[in-house]
Amino acid sequence: MSYKITEEGNVATVHLDGEIDMDVTEKAKEVIMPLIESGKEVHLNLKEVQYMDSSGISVLIESHQKAAELGTKVILKEISKSVLKVIMMAKLEQILIIE
Amino acid sequence: MTIDEHKEFAVQSSSLKEIRSFAREVLTKDPVFQNSMDDVVLALAEAAQNIVKHAYSGQPTGDTMKVDIKFNGKQLIIELFDKGSPAIPQNIKPRKLDDIKAGGLGTFFIGQIMDEVIFKTAATDWVNHLVLKKNY
Repeated sequence: MSYKITEEGNVATVHLDGEIDMDVTEKAKEVIMPLIESGKEVHLNLKEVQYMDSSGISVLIESHQKAAELGTKVILKEISKSVLKVIMMAKLEQILIIE
Repeated sequence: MTIDEHKEFAVQSSSLKEIRSFAREVLTKDPVFQNSMDDVVLALAEAAQNIVKHAYSGQPTGDTMKVDIKFNGKQLIIELFDKGSPAIPQNIKPRKLDDIKAGGLGTFFIGQIMDEVIFKTAATDWVNHLVLKKNY
């Protein structure tokens, strides 16, 4: 997994790339959580994520919950087909914020 | 066509990518898996992840796990063997869908994708033996 962060005003966009599994979830959290904790609205661009398993989905859930707790938002953007399929299998499309 | 392939992997999270590659390589051999390959690879990877996470509590050891993939033209049988802590099947429960939390999702995915999930006590040198079946 690789990533790139761009910031504009109060919005931080994290472009994730590659495969997100148990082996990289800690790294993903280390990237995403501080942005949420700083109060920014975080956009996760998942266009280049080719694979995500339950560990990756857990990162999305935890990020969403942390943001809600702190009064901000995590918005999932340009979700790849394969990731969207897993989100839908977990029936999370109504819970997570998807644009 | 029939398939009968197996491979051993180190029990560690960095093996998960190799396991997925192995599964894709095997399943590519028969076009019958074309539409379900991503799902089956996810189910296998989730089962392997459970071995790393639960049977070994995420601790790296020198142990390996074995993955067998068999297909007889009608049924795909994936078997995983490990030497970690014995699994207690009645304690392995998928997440309830209305319970929005991280955890238990892997088992839920396996159940959604595969037709049959059987926990066995391994008869050989292994400790746990998980069998995943999918009909075609």
